[in-house]
Amino acid sequence: MTGIAPKRGWLPPLVAALIAAVLQTAALGYMVESRASILRNGKEVLLKTVPVDPRDLLRGDYVILSYDISWLPPALFKGGLPTAPAETAVFVRLAKQPDGFWAAAEASFKPLAPVDDSVVLQSQPFTYYPSSSENPSSINVDYGIERFYVPEGEGRVLEQARNAEALSVSVRINDAGRAQIRQIAVEGTPVYEEPLY
Amino acid sequence: MYRGRLERDFKHWVGMGLLPEASARQMLAEYDGRESTFRAGRVLLVLAALLLSASILLLVAANWEALPRLARLIGIVGLIWGFHLAGALLLRRGNGGLAAAALVLATMSFGAGIALVGQMYHLSGEAADAILLWIAGACVTALAFRSAAATTVCGGLAWAYFLTLLSEGDLGDIVQWQTWLVPALAVVVVVLVRVTDAGRARHLAYLLVMAWLVWLYIENPSLAFAGALAGGGIIAFLAAAVPGSPLRPMALEAGSAPAFYSFALALIGFAVLQFEADGLTGQVAAGAAVLIVALLGIALAGAQNGAVRYLGYAAFAGELLYLAFETLGSMLGTSGFFLISGLLVAAIAWLVIRIEGRLMRTRRKEVSP
Repeated sequence: MTGIAPKRGWLPPLVAALIAAVLQTAALGYMVESRASILRNGKEVLLKTVPVDPRDLLRGDYVILSYDISWLPPALFKGGLPTAPAETAVFVRLAKQPDGFWAAAEASFKPLAPVDDSVVLQSQPFTYYPSSSENPSSINVDYGIERFYVPEGEGRVLEQARNAEALSVSVRINDAGRAQIRQIAVEGTPVYEEPLY
Repeated sequence: MYRGRLERDFKHWVGMGLLPEASARQMLAEYDGRESTFRAGRVLLVLAALLLSASILLLVAANWEALPRLARLIGIVGLIWGFHLAGALLLRRGNGGLAAAALVLATMSFGAGIALVGQMYHLSGEAADAILLWIAGACVTALAFRSAAATTVCGGLAWAYFLTLLSEGDLGDIVQWQTWLVPALAVVVVVLVRVTDAGRARHLAYLLVMAWLVWLYIENPSLAFAGALAGGGIIAFLAAAVPGSPLRPMALEAGSAPAFYSFALALIGFAVLQFEADGLTGQVAAGAAVLIVALLGIALAGAQNGAVRYLGYAAFAGELLYLAFETLGSMLGTSGFFLISGLLVAAIAWLVIRIEGRLMRTRRKEVSP
């Protein structure tokens, strides 16, 4: 086995404690601020959701949200689709509809240039497998806003509203195309408004 | 375990007059005083710390509204600071056991913090990425304090990462970088074990690599992969166990682990080869190979390494049973196979006994005059 004599610490314990606590606090602080800054400065869009109480071991109960823009028809991809399987992400241009909701106007596997009155949203990375059929089906993508964590036992109300298609979600999106949920409304009435911190 | 055997042997030698009783007592006292010796109190302390950590993690998961979330975040950061500072103060007072428990709580609080931020901002990304950040934080604590307890937490988290990948179905595809992160994490844990002197936590890393290799094979089965497992395992085992191998002294210094895990890897490889083999010749060759590897392990490393010896016995017995039930061609054929292998092994045993007898005679001659 290893040496019989115990090894001694190389840092004074208090210095070790400071290093570990500062670095771990900084990591948490970075996580918080990277999300809070989207809520603070991002451009707001309103999304429509389409139709369990799942639980995550560490983060608790959540409601699964799926959006109109989670399924992208191939016609939206004006630049065409990749022909080989690839690790990639999709960029989606959102434009405001007459009913107030935002919908996908254009999608691409390459970054989209910013245009007035529209917001570009970037999907989570995923592996794209080209379809061999003549009429390829819609492409399913995630944006990192598919879960909403709720206090234990409160998920039911939201789920019923979601299944009745009465749920709308306000999302803020930053210049890099990352999204953050800001508000959830049932029949237009806000039920959860997310504070910055 | 070792402590019990040591005491029994000392009593035997004291009875034979080979060892003065006072020396035996001193040696046992020295052994009991070592840092690495099992102490029930210390182990219970760390287990208590794990229970408290589970309570913190679930408090976060409950998303309890009575506490505003900013207060929860500040509370978690407070716990991270509190437990690290408590660990430092306890170390300065020389209270290693309590310090280890405090550092376990500190690393687990960091995990609770990550979960809390994920919950606050509804991060629907993969849990595996969160665990990676958690491992990084635990590594910092382990390195800064040279804490064996925090290293063990890292080993457990590396397993958690592997199991999360498995449950999310992300593993096995050779193209994906996450697949290669698992052995990289095992290397990180081994380095931490060396630096922090965490001893037994190394097994978490070795077992992780074995489980990962088996999983990789299940996802990408091929004859070449099975052959590589078997060949790599046998080469590693021979390097660690053959007398005269340049790597043998290093392997012996690291304890019984290198020989045992390379032996286990070789056995897994040959067992998988047997699974791949088809046709009578292939079956006979694969079966004979497993038996030969088991015998090789017992013969080369069985004397110093109990773990290899018992794994060798188990593999040998398992293979015998498997061949007896599987039937090589016909029952008569299987019987013939066992007859030939029985005679061969008996001949080898006769040779080994003669060599061992000569060795023992020369050793006795060296000691007696």
